[in-house]
Amino acid sequence: MTRYKGYTGKCLRVDLTSGKIRVEDLQDSMCEQYVGGLGFATRILWDEVNEKTDPLGPENRIVFSTGPATGTLFPAAGRYQVNSKSPLTGVWGHANSGGAFGSELKYAGYDMMVISGRSEKPVYLWIDDDYVELRDASHLWGKTTHETTDMIREELGDETYKVACIGPAGENLVRFACIINDYGDAAGRTGMGAVMGSKGLKAIAVRGSKEIQAHDPDAFLEVVDDAYKKLLVDWGYHLSVTLTRYGTPNLVEAINSIGRMPVKNHWTGYWDKAEKIGGVRIREEYRSKQGSCFGCLVQCKYMVRVPSGKYAGTYKGPEYEAIVSLGSCCLVDDLEAIFEANHLCDLYGMDSISMGMTIAWAMECYEKGLITEEDTEGIPIKWGDGDLIVDLVKKTAFKEGFGKILAEGTRRASEIVGRGTEKYAIQVKGLEVSAQDGRAHQSSGLTHATAARGADHLTSLSCLEERGYEEVAAARYGEDKVQHLVDPLSTKHKGILIKDLEDLYAIGNSLIICWYEVGWPPVFYFDDMARLVYTLTGMEGYKEVKTLRLAAERICTLRRMFNVREGLRRKDDTLPERFTREPMPTGPAKGRICHLDEMLDEYYEARGCDKSTGVPTDETLKRLGLGDLAGKYGHSLDR
Amino acid sequence: MMARKFLVINPENCTGCRICEIACSFQHYKSFNPRKSRVHVLKVEKRGIYIPNVCRHCRDAPCMASCPTGAIYRDKSTDGILINYDVCIRCHQCVIACPFGAITIDPETSDPLKCDLCGGDPQCAARCPREAILYIRGDRVGFDKRRRRSEAFLEVLSSLAGGGV
Repeated sequence: MTRYKGYTGKCLRVDLTSGKIRVEDLQDSMCEQYVGGLGFATRILWDEVNEKTDPLGPENRIVFSTGPATGTLFPAAGRYQVNSKSPLTGVWGHANSGGAFGSELKYAGYDMMVISGRSEKPVYLWIDDDYVELRDASHLWGKTTHETTDMIREELGDETYKVACIGPAGENLVRFACIINDYGDAAGRTGMGAVMGSKGLKAIAVRGSKEIQAHDPDAFLEVVDDAYKKLLVDWGYHLSVTLTRYGTPNLVEAINSIGRMPVKNHWTGYWDKAEKIGGVRIREEYRSKQGSCFGCLVQCKYMVRVPSGKYAGTYKGPEYEAIVSLGSCCLVDDLEAIFEANHLCDLYGMDSISMGMTIAWAMECYEKGLITEEDTEGIPIKWGDGDLIVDLVKKTAFKEGFGKILAEGTRRASEIVGRGTEKYAIQVKGLEVSAQDGRAHQSSGLTHATAARGADHLTSLSCLEERGYEEVAAARYGEDKVQHLVDPLSTKHKGILIKDLEDLYAIGNSLIICWYEVGWPPVFYFDDMARLVYTLTGMEGYKEVKTLRLAAERICTLRRMFNVREGLRRKDDTLPERFTREPMPTGPAKGRICHLDEMLDEYYEARGCDKSTGVPTDETLKRLGLGDLAGKYGHSLDR
Repeated sequence: MMARKFLVINPENCTGCRICEIACSFQHYKSFNPRKSRVHVLKVEKRGIYIPNVCRHCRDAPCMASCPTGAIYRDKSTDGILINYDVCIRCHQCVIACPFGAITIDPETSDPLKCDLCGGDPQCAARCPREAILYIRGDRVGFDKRRRRSEAFLEVLSSLAGGGV
């Protein structure tokens, strides 16, 4: 077992086919090379899953991992990672969730959980410190995530159990089904809920009473205090008037004003009705209570109360991404319908981004006559119909009628329908494009194209341009580059920037700390995190920042190699033509397209990849201690 | 003597982040373990309701009155109710007696666990980002609430006074 602090030193292995449960020791070398969370899972998936693995087959692994910072006093370190081969994209998949499930898993004594096999009857995993049992979940099958959590807590006799579970969507193998913990925190993207569903695993309930130690508690507390100062004082005003006050919905107005908020299936980046679904209106008319994930200082979560009407109730408020996907991308400005649709995504366990974007695809195809009422069982799929969104969310979760098509996600759905609908499937590698637009914010196009799990906003999205953080850009990359770096429409240096942020967020997801400390606003950087790792774990190498940077590159490169092994090459690091060929029709970025290729060249060079194929070079692999992978996955363009 | 301070809870401010629990365990054990915290947040996640619970350091403390060995005493410097673990026999009479459930039991040592005000600088209050737990003078209790409510009259009073306020 590892001698390093900050870790529990244990990995829980559960094989659902045989029902066997065992505990493995975590090795020093794993900690030194892969840090935790995302890093651990990347190594496990590389070793135990391959290009022949069916994402929904028993041989696929689903890895729940925490990091050294999880459960400590470092702010916003209550998160966990879920990693698996994705049933939505067929390649690398992962999701990350807040709440208090991750910290509880760590307190129960596990750095990670690796689950394989398939149970014949539905089961849930009960973890009470060292006591682990697979229990019958037949009575939970078909229940919503809220009902499941309530019933398990009641059954186990303790409401402090943390439960991560799937809803009907996961059971029905909706390709973008997610995992919900703590009644509304989602490990959202790439269909991790469908993987659980395919394994017959309804839920994981965990309670922990063990301690997490620090290598040098006093020095670690200094790191924590510095972090408090940075968040509450240095960035305090900035955070208090944005995320803390409005939550992520404050992005609706801000991002719309720079012409980068997707509208009408990513047709444009600006909507004159944005204020109707924006953060200010939500706060003034609906917000009932502030919320928080475990150990967080930012506290961007919130509850909304709809006092009357058909969607009356109190529920967890939607995030920016959900508001855009279920709202502006479908031209829906009915905020209460968006609340309800988002809430139903939580109850049934579906990624609200992929859900909304898939409906938006159907709406555009319907408008263009490519999908007709024959396909939709007589339902007109018209833009702007809030009640329709709510209805389609239900139909998708249960695969009823047209929902059966939507449940496949945009790429597969458009392949099933055919007739040229593929053109309107706004996805990369099979993952629906999140709420950014590479035409208005060039580097976000590069992020969408290169992210291993498909077009996502958390792998390497840069906020330096969004709000013009000149000082941060200068300190990190040099004065000479600032002018281009903070210009959203410039493509210069963006390959270097995105590679650097991909590394940074990989470490964030390995520690694990929230994106809203490293991404936006750009509070913590490699030096802060290296100090954190050394004082917490005692790994000598991490006294030097370069060790952390090297670990970051190792994680990102191995993750890229996972997709290379699946056959992905440069041609797959691409964008829908909507961003590269169709000039932005309206708004501040009118007339612009995303110049992906020039940024891509620079990115590959910075990443140490062959420019023609996008495959990491042998030299890069050897430099990162991955020499055994060299030469095996040639640089051929063939898939 | 300085005015006595009290640990005061504002449940309407609490967001359920449980920083208080992590900070409390670190203060007492130099490690992180909310199950050994002396402050506990009751969470009703579905409704967004969170209520921190911690020892009230009662004036007539039932825990002190019920202790058979006199292990529970009032600290002179903070006025807090503390446990002398050298005298305590781990009978848990105090746990039973506490009307608030604010005393728990350490599963490893059997020690009764309760708030000791961290010797005068309670870390739960010091680190709470939302002022849901405060350590303040008795005469300041409710001040913010009074001020907030009073502000509603500000406009009315201003107009009555012909803008002369």
